[in-house]
Amino acid sequence: MNKAGQRASIPTHGGDPVDDRELVLAAQRGDRDAFKTLFERYHRRAYALALGVVRHPDDAMDVVQDAFIKAHRYLDKFEGNSSFYTWLYRIVMNLAIDHLRKHRRANPVELDETRLDSDGDEPLLPRILGGNPGRALVDKQIRGRIDQALDELSENHRAVLVMRELEGLSYEDMAQAMSCSKGTIMSRLFHARRNMQKRLIDLIDHPSPELVADLLGGQAGDPEDTPANDEAPRERVPAARSRR
Amino acid sequence: MSKPSTAKADLELMEHADGETEDAGVAARLERDPDARAKVESIQEIGELVRGHLELSADAMHDARFAAMWRRIDDQLEAPATGLWSRVTRWFDRYRGHVITGAVSAGAVAALALILRPSMPDPGRYGAGNTVIDVRPVALRATPEIDSLDTPGGTGTVINLDDDEDGHTTVIWVTPADTVEGI
Repeated sequence: MNKAGQRASIPTHGGDPVDDRELVLAAQRGDRDAFKTLFERYHRRAYALALGVVRHPDDAMDVVQDAFIKAHRYLDKFEGNSSFYTWLYRIVMNLAIDHLRKHRRANPVELDETRLDSDGDEPLLPRILGGNPGRALVDKQIRGRIDQALDELSENHRAVLVMRELEGLSYEDMAQAMSCSKGTIMSRLFHARRNMQKRLIDLIDHPSPELVADLLGGQAGDPEDTPANDEAPRERVPAARSRR
Repeated sequence: MSKPSTAKADLELMEHADGETEDAGVAARLERDPDARAKVESIQEIGELVRGHLELSADAMHDARFAAMWRRIDDQLEAPATGLWSRVTRWFDRYRGHVITGAVSAGAVAALALILRPSMPDPGRYGAGNTVIDVRPVALRATPEIDSLDTPGGTGTVINLDDDEDGHTTVIWVTPADTVEGI
């Protein structure tokens, strides 16, 4: 399991798995070790979320640190209606968005995000890398391109994409988190995904031999069987990382 | 051959891929249209790439950085509140919004009352320098009578108005001579 994926049932306090709720209750009573355990469980996941939004590792670290301090400060207000992490990611998300607002730079042009025009907007592209995206992530070229593509998204598009793909939030939850309508969230997500497609498309159309080999799991690459070939089988190998 | 799709139609595909709708029309489209299926797969693939990339990036951050972060957090954590004052402070923190709203409302009402209260005359503050002029309101019980009107350098007009409802009103209209046209 990857470090960021350490989600639950981490042995603590003498080896017994301790539930988040028990840890929160203990932390509310002033048990710092309990809060430290919560930190150890979720710091990387929170960092991945912050990094996805603010894009700079040091900024993301600041956001996570502030989020845990804030979480501790308001721990007595946490009533347990949602999971601790759900509560924490909202704090992380709010701080990450605040960070973007405070350090706003020239943003990429954001297309109409309140509605989709059936005539004016481009549809999604029916092309995929194929093979195993988990394996493709070993390729530095792809990682670099994903980084670049995320950087080039507008802040709002990126925030929505990260919330959806990293945390699997529903449109409604994202609308609440970003204080906007569900329609706006749908439009932002659609544009974000299509922009990611456009920025990664040349990798799909002209994959390097190394990438082809990676995608095919090290098998000899048959030119007729490359992912770019529209006739290639669409069956997908399960990704290396399962969705939470 | 499948009909060229639009962004709006693809939005429905996206909702379906995200589990936000189970529209039968979308399911039928996916059944018959390979392009639509490829688009849904593309959406899922982008998700896996973004998620995988961010999780790998998070994994790449050294444990030492997070250990240092915890030390900084630990330094800033507040001690658990146990005393009476701490309880009061926590209560205030929790209900800060209500308390402030109540205080502001009370202040606004008090300020309004001060502004709207009947003003008392402050005798002797209308003169220039040290001169004190005792000004008191006088209620006239009888209609004033004007014996003479002297307006040197101008013209004066006295208008008496009698009204059943408002009573008697006298208007004295004085106009300087140089502003009167034709004189």
